[in-house]
Amino acid sequence: MSPKPILQAREIIKKYRIGTQAVSVLNGINLDIYHGEVVSILGKSGCGKTTFLNIAAGLERPTKGDIIIDGHYLNKISEKRMSAFRRKYIGFVFQLYNLIPSMNALENAILPMVFEGVPQKEREEKGRELLTIMGLGDRLKHKPNELSGGQRQRISLARAMINNPRIIFADEPTGNLDSRTTEEILNLLISTVRENGQTLLMVTHDLEVARHGDRIIEMVDGRIIN
Amino acid sequence: MRKRDLLLMANKNLWRRKARTILTCLGVVIGTASIVVMISLGIGLRVSMEKSMAQWGSLNIINVHPGMRYDENGNPTGEEKRMTDETVEELKAIPGVTAVSPVYNIDGEAQLGRKKGYLSIVGIDPAAMEELEFTVSHGRLLTPEDRFAIVAGSQVINNFWDERAARRGGGMMGEGPQQQDPAELLEQRIRLTIRNQAGNERKQNLFVVGILDETNMDRSWQVYGSIHDIKRMRDFMMQGANSSKQMLGPMAKEVIISGGGVMVSTGRASGSRGNRREDRSNDYNSIMVRTKDVAQTKEISKELRERGYNAWSMADSLEGIENTSRTMQAILGGIGGITLFVAALGITNTMIMSIYERTREIGIMKVIGASFADIRSIFLMEAALIGLFGGILGLGLSYGASEIINRISADYIQRGMGGPATNISVIPVWLAGFALVFSIFIGLAAGLYPASRAIRVSPMVAIRNE
Repeated sequence: MSPKPILQAREIIKKYRIGTQAVSVLNGINLDIYHGEVVSILGKSGCGKTTFLNIAAGLERPTKGDIIIDGHYLNKISEKRMSAFRRKYIGFVFQLYNLIPSMNALENAILPMVFEGVPQKEREEKGRELLTIMGLGDRLKHKPNELSGGQRQRISLARAMINNPRIIFADEPTGNLDSRTTEEILNLLISTVRENGQTLLMVTHDLEVARHGDRIIEMVDGRIIN
Repeated sequence: MRKRDLLLMANKNLWRRKARTILTCLGVVIGTASIVVMISLGIGLRVSMEKSMAQWGSLNIINVHPGMRYDENGNPTGEEKRMTDETVEELKAIPGVTAVSPVYNIDGEAQLGRKKGYLSIVGIDPAAMEELEFTVSHGRLLTPEDRFAIVAGSQVINNFWDERAARRGGGMMGEGPQQQDPAELLEQRIRLTIRNQAGNERKQNLFVVGILDETNMDRSWQVYGSIHDIKRMRDFMMQGANSSKQMLGPMAKEVIISGGGVMVSTGRASGSRGNRREDRSNDYNSIMVRTKDVAQTKEISKELRERGYNAWSMADSLEGIENTSRTMQAILGGIGGITLFVAALGITNTMIMSIYERTREIGIMKVIGASFADIRSIFLMEAALIGLFGGILGLGLSYGASEIINRISADYIQRGMGGPATNISVIPVWLAGFALVFSIFIGLAAGLYPASRAIRVSPMVAIRNE
């Protein structure tokens, strides 16, 4: 394991204002994740794990504290430049897949490359290759609503990885899948991450899922307890 | 993001909601078509007016006459200008003038075979004829070598009538003058009778070498000869005028030294002749000036008047017409503009609805790396495409409407006046181009606000698992 962390969280505090009351969601999270690690964050719903993931991925800003990815302080990156940063460093896998319904499997998978400005031929080649690895080589032209949950999540995995980002964030990636598919998807996700030398930070409430990681971090009430 | 991807993505997004996109486009179609048709009517009006004016005289020619200029109250302004060789040289020196010819006019009785008539002869410089926009339908123009050759206007033939034939067919009076073929005059000999102020008579044979075409109705009743020939005839006619004024008897009155076919009454010029000591018998009747184009004509004509010349050209009257048509175009275009403005509101509305529907999609795109510029471009492109599609279809509709308007009006004009039909709706290329660019611009402008809303969508909306 390389000594330099790829992701550092420093004293992350997040408060929401609900009406006149301030609600504390994260109460000072400190975490180092090293290059090549597969880390699971385990916690019950409402413990703040998703909020932490969003903050770590730069989708939300913390009230206080720093996220440092590969030496870059996220709070110093403007909202405008954040998209370019995300393209390069971050892949995201959602619980509800979040594919674009009007686009077919291939188009969804290669969408990040469209924003990157990669020529069509090149990106379609890459997409085809990656979707074949994901076991969807014969479903390239299918729309998401013609595919099963597992198949949709495979597209989502391909999309998260297509730009070869340093770190993949997965928010309950198997939350909507049955146990057999869950196993398949997790194995696929982790093996691909390892093959590409990427880092994975996964959030789940399911211990079985969390066990797939190298390291399990438990969260309760906005704090890391283990 | 590449331009091609942007275009394809925006186009695809639009057609996800076909009915809505088509309806929004329809607004632009109607807006564009109404602007284009309205402006085309304004243009058509001007073009047809210009055309009918050009029939009455070339828009590039200025006629300069002797005599005083008078202001609105009838008071003479400045000194009387004479038409001499110096004047010709002065006019030639004006930039933008391409040709100048001095002009002598004489009138006289004429005979063409058995037919009798009269001729109004204009002597000009044969070398400048072509430059002065003389064009023949038969025969040729004059050359400097011609002696007592003439080119006749298209209507000159109708100046001649066969007295005996007229007596025979007295009952045909009601039918008015018979139109005769102008070409009949070609290569005919016309015998002109001129009398001088001393009461002597002289006959002169003139040979018709060409017939003018009908582009310029101002010239259709006159014949044109070399200025040297006309000068000799004129010299003969002037004999005795200076020696004895008393000889201006009834005989001499038949010889009218007219001051050009157009405006200025010679009464003034010849009246003042007697009062002055200097000899003006060699002064020209007028001077014809050709300029490069209509714009120059207007300018030079104005300048000549400022210099004190009695200058006039067809193009001068154009200004008023142009002002009228500009006002017409502004009013008509304004009506179309309102329609297009409403269409723009439609685009904005459609885009805002579309953004509501696609909020989650926008969030997803942001999470996976779409930049602000990408999101803005996608929505602006969609709006611009609505504008473009609407513009293209609207332009097509305009051409159709223009065609129909022209057919109906041509029918109407032909039944009503029997005149030549001119298009009252004209769509020049620049108007078509303008319409397209403008409709795209309207789309873009209408898309600005929705696009700025799309940018503000938080990537968090994609994360929420509801």
